[in-house]
Amino acid sequence: MALSRKTPLERIEYAIIVSTLLLLVVVTVQPILNLLAVSLSEPGRVPGMSGLTILPRGFSLEVWTVLLQHPNVQRGIFNSILITFVSTLIGVIGTALMAWGLSRPGLPGRKALFILVLVTIVFEPGIIPEYFVNKRLGLLDSYWSVILYKAVNAWYLIILIRFFEEIPKELLEASELDGANPFQVFWYVVLPLAKPALATISLFYLVFHWNEFFHAMIYLNDQSKWPLQVVLRQFVIDGDKLAIVGIDNANNNTGASQIDLRSLKAGMILLTIVPILAIYPLILKFFTKGTMSGALKG
Amino acid sequence: MTDHDQTLNAPRIGNVPKSAVRGKPKRATAFANGWRRWWPFYVMMAPGLAFFLVLHYLPIWEARIAFEQVRIVPPNIWVGLKHFYVLFASPVFWQVLANTLIISAMKMAFFLPVPILVALLINEVRGGRLRKFIQSAIYLPHFLSWVVIAGVFIAALSPTDGAVNNLMGMAGIAPRSFMTDTGAIRWVLVFTEIWRSAGWDSLLYLAAIIAIDQQLYDAAEIDGANRWQKIWHVTLPGIVPTIATLFILNAGMFLNADLNQVINFSNDVVRSKIDIVDTYVYRIGLQTGEYSLATAAGLFKAVLGTMMIVTAHFVSKRLTGKGVW
Repeated sequence: MALSRKTPLERIEYAIIVSTLLLLVVVTVQPILNLLAVSLSEPGRVPGMSGLTILPRGFSLEVWTVLLQHPNVQRGIFNSILITFVSTLIGVIGTALMAWGLSRPGLPGRKALFILVLVTIVFEPGIIPEYFVNKRLGLLDSYWSVILYKAVNAWYLIILIRFFEEIPKELLEASELDGANPFQVFWYVVLPLAKPALATISLFYLVFHWNEFFHAMIYLNDQSKWPLQVVLRQFVIDGDKLAIVGIDNANNNTGASQIDLRSLKAGMILLTIVPILAIYPLILKFFTKGTMSGALKG
Repeated sequence: MTDHDQTLNAPRIGNVPKSAVRGKPKRATAFANGWRRWWPFYVMMAPGLAFFLVLHYLPIWEARIAFEQVRIVPPNIWVGLKHFYVLFASPVFWQVLANTLIISAMKMAFFLPVPILVALLINEVRGGRLRKFIQSAIYLPHFLSWVVIAGVFIAALSPTDGAVNNLMGMAGIAPRSFMTDTGAIRWVLVFTEIWRSAGWDSLLYLAAIIAIDQQLYDAAEIDGANRWQKIWHVTLPGIVPTIATLFILNAGMFLNADLNQVINFSNDVVRSKIDIVDTYVYRIGLQTGEYSLATAAGLFKAVLGTMMIVTAHFVSKRLTGKGVW
């Protein structure tokens, strides 16, 4: 249907529809762009800056420089990257291996194992028992307590099982006839076929672990192991300005203490989003496709 | 599964001469044959299985402290349902349970319709580029953590220099401190939930809309249907199953008012309005150290929640063919 054949009324309707959606875009993006503008403004000119603007007052990278040179922030970045990568690696490997077994129709005990996984989705005994298990295993205050939290995610496992079930039997049988053992079949046939699915799962895990804060918060007393999300929470949500400013700077009015707190908070929030923005094109590509092809909830 | 499948998946080693297995119990042989073919798969599944047993099943066993008196010098003493009686006699518990239900109900009433509307609107957009731009923008918040989102909204709702109060100021409305306003904070939860996930959830409905047979639209057009009539008579009926599924599944999750969200929007002023079962468990358990009472509250929620979600699954499966898993 060419637009030219539309009646004036239809054109007005269409304009209303598009404007409504664009308004939605503005409501979604403006609060983030405002923080960007605040963080890039000259710190001295930030007080009194409107929450509606998306243009910085002047231009200065001072906030970002101070944040990136701050030891707490640097530790946070390091910890977040470490936890996210190790956790994702373990998760993808563990999930793929387990999904492959569970996707084989003839596997003895398959149904029982499947139920064993489902139970963990519908029944969660809560944070206190989880906390005590970690305590008993001696994992409290170690990176492992956070790395292993939902290391194999039951939902992602089910997604991969469904994917592996679709692999044509003929391919697998051909390689078995060539004398490949199950490990070789998995490595040389299944994994290469599953690349898109594995990429999707990896992204799921990356986003999940990068954004995790609650379990890191309760398992890690040692602040030097805190991921960025927990540092951000202490600074912005709990309003503990010493988390970033530091007691010496606060007393002597030096360093970060000279910068408006609003700018520091804005910069800190954005810093935590940067990795998500970096992989966002991939997320759009893989998640959208995954969701569109039938997986109900991700 | 067809017979054909079963033949293909029968143990390869199954065709050993009958004489070799004569005399042995049939079941044991089948097991041995199965094991010989399937052990590599069990080896591959071992890490995952170990993970689930240790980090998901051990906590279930550990939850027995809900029925015990924790002592500094072990062993703990079995006290049966004592902690549950204390819990049910506590007004705070009923308050947090009520908060949980109220917040869930508000989200269900005001969140669920939004992604449907968004999907219907996006479906009307013709230009591929414009559509992609809109989608890319509104899906983003779904991938941000609640710490970040709370940070964004603490700024946006600030009474002095937040966008919302700046707008209200232009309209001559007096500024309001939403984050410390007991009357507003639940609505802040509902709105931020919409901000975060209405865009992304619209994708689920959009997938359903795209699956609708194009011929139905063509037929409607021939009958002279306009845009709204097509939406009302073709699109909406086409996505009713998806709406029903998501509605039922949400009902199943009713006791999860989202710990990660609430804990970041909570503060001393508004806590009584948005303290939910999960934050209550966290507070009395890990902050006050009443482990048994907290575990009892957690278990109560877990058991009730399991019943609800399993019911939701089977109802949904029965009505729409799609379940939770």
